[in-house]
Amino acid sequence: MRFHTAMLFVVSLSYVGCGGRHESVSSSTAQVELTYWPAPNIQEIQLADTIVKTWNRDHPSVHVRMQPIPVSQSTEEVLLAAIAGKTTPDVCSNIWPGALHDYTESGGLIPLDSFSDFDSVVSSRVPAELLKTFRSSDGHYFQFPWKTNPVMMFYNKRLFHEAGVESPPRTYSEFLLDGQRVTRDTNGDGQTDVWMGERDIRPIWWQRLFDFYPFYIAASGGKTLFTDGKITYGDEPAVSVFGFFQKCYGEHYFPRTFFQGGDPFLLEKKATHFAGPWEVATIQKYAPGLDFGVAPLPVPDSFRGPVYTTGDFKNISIFSTTTHPREAWEFVKYLVTAEHDLLMLEICNQIPVRGDLQTNPLFAPYFRVNPLMISFAQQAPFTRGMDAVPDLKEIFDAISQEYELCAVYGTKTPAEAVRDAVARTSSIVEWNQ
Amino acid sequence: MTTAALFRDRLRKSDSQGYLFVLPYVVYFLAFVAYPLIFSIALMFNRWNIVTPMEWIGLKNFIRMIHDPLFFKSLENTVIFLLIHIPLQIVVALGLALLLNSKLRLRFFFRAVYFMPVVVSGVVVTILWQQLYSFDYGILNNILSSIGLPRIPWLVDAAYAMPSIALMATWKNVGIYIVLFLVGLQNIPAELYEAASLDGASRADKFMHVTLPMLNPTIIAIVILSTIGGFSLFIEPYVLTGGGPMQSTLSTMLYIYNQAFYFDHMGYAATLGIVFAVIILGVVAVQRKVIEAES
Repeated sequence: MRFHTAMLFVVSLSYVGCGGRHESVSSSTAQVELTYWPAPNIQEIQLADTIVKTWNRDHPSVHVRMQPIPVSQSTEEVLLAAIAGKTTPDVCSNIWPGALHDYTESGGLIPLDSFSDFDSVVSSRVPAELLKTFRSSDGHYFQFPWKTNPVMMFYNKRLFHEAGVESPPRTYSEFLLDGQRVTRDTNGDGQTDVWMGERDIRPIWWQRLFDFYPFYIAASGGKTLFTDGKITYGDEPAVSVFGFFQKCYGEHYFPRTFFQGGDPFLLEKKATHFAGPWEVATIQKYAPGLDFGVAPLPVPDSFRGPVYTTGDFKNISIFSTTTHPREAWEFVKYLVTAEHDLLMLEICNQIPVRGDLQTNPLFAPYFRVNPLMISFAQQAPFTRGMDAVPDLKEIFDAISQEYELCAVYGTKTPAEAVRDAVARTSSIVEWNQ
Repeated sequence: MTTAALFRDRLRKSDSQGYLFVLPYVVYFLAFVAYPLIFSIALMFNRWNIVTPMEWIGLKNFIRMIHDPLFFKSLENTVIFLLIHIPLQIVVALGLALLLNSKLRLRFFFRAVYFMPVVVSGVVVTILWQQLYSFDYGILNNILSSIGLPRIPWLVDAAYAMPSIALMATWKNVGIYIVLFLVGLQNIPAELYEAASLDGASRADKFMHVTLPMLNPTIIAIVILSTIGGFSLFIEPYVLTGGGPMQSTLSTMLYIYNQAFYFDHMGYAATLGIVFAVIILGVVAVQRKVIEAES
């Protein structure tokens, strides 16, 4: 009896030892339960609910329980707390690449390239050049690129037309010239009623993801803040971006104040707005009469080439607390099928990260009905994510402080502000090493 | 008899039910006061971002703090806030308390009105003031404009932002200090005023030589409470300005919060927190000594 027990123990150990590439599949008869956290907004909950229902119908042995990410100030806070408390779900589809380093450093995620079919699945969907930007410094992929929200320039056609501007500005000079025409006092009370643009002037780090960062990516032809782990944004494109926004505030085309009482773009108090495709649904819902267009971000006058922007990517990861990695991976593959990407477009108005978006006939009817989304689909291949470096939030905070000093209040020249931002970034990187 | 035996004997003789009654508080104290404090002190010598194991770094957090201009800027901002807020708080609270202590019609109604902001959530009050302070659309600037005065950049100019926050904080908290002053005023014996009147004292003389000296203990309490409250300035800059413009409203509490919960630098935030607590303790001790010596 004792011998049999010992043998069973040895055999079971050998099974565990062979499971290095997460190939162990649960018995098809056993009921496996996976927990899936989508983003906690109405559209994505609806999308997740639809996909999970069909999965559960088609896969009776692997039941997925959908639970929106618990509401907090940010998904990243919730996920960090969950990692610390070992209460992470099996799968989450709201992974911001900028926070990925924190999750991987703590061993919170499973490398997806440990699954034998990862390469074939991901390469059939994501262009190779874009895929590389999601590889972690250790060479592994801990995230499956899922959706992108390219930050572009929305513009109010009526306000432009009233000011005699017939096409959206493509360069900084054009933007500033249009700003001169569009920004005006419409009722003669001495106060400006229509602004060319507006940004939250508070020095909050994530606000820079909608002005400095996409504009830097655009001005630099697709560069991010770091190259091969080295700070490389202390260059001319960064200076030109700071200079551009300094002129916007200095010439009073952007207000140095907070707008109260609603979104100024929806209220037609500002003519341009930098946002992703999610804004289309918001405008259509809350300001259905607003006549607007979408265009690439303005670039420096001397810039030539495709205009890049930030993708505001949200990706899928599997947490290392899962006891069913293989089943979790199967579910991830199910989430990213072309049919479900079409659902994402239809329900969420968000762009799936896939190379065949404009060529696959499956998506053509959607773009025929939603022509505004074509601009985002065309922009999607020219997007960049976040650098996979630690302390990205603190780095953006440092940039934010310098942006405020230079662009909003004009107390530093653009060159000084960029130099100081780079110096502070170096200190942050050095301290945290 | 050994010490342990003596302790056991004493425990046996004492009322064991008493220990049971204090047990809930002892558990609460250990879990929510003692443990976090000891943990924070341990954190001061570590680098920790919650999810990765702690890393012992000796005195590096202190060295960083000494070379951190933003920490000192935040201390400077907090002191500026206190220098505006405390005198303003005392003058306004005392003035209103004197009015509400007189035989005013509807004084109970006014007492309730002035106390109301104290019980309203700080975030709600701050959002309301954000609307009032708005440069283009705020009611304050609309009033100024309507009487031909220039608009004031309440929250978007480094020179105005902290005084604006101090003004708002005074409005929010003045009710509680009015109550304290009212208690102090009602405890001043009427005979003192009668005696002063017989000596021919004017109303101003009575205020300077009777009311103020008799309110000294209340003033000490209010200065100390306002100082401690002022040092913990957080909600107002967090909601109103995010620490701007140009870091002029970055309070120390906001900076510590950013380090801990935005940047996950728990060790550094604990260092700043403990050092800040020691500074508050020192300031309050000095304040108390000075005020007591003066009185």
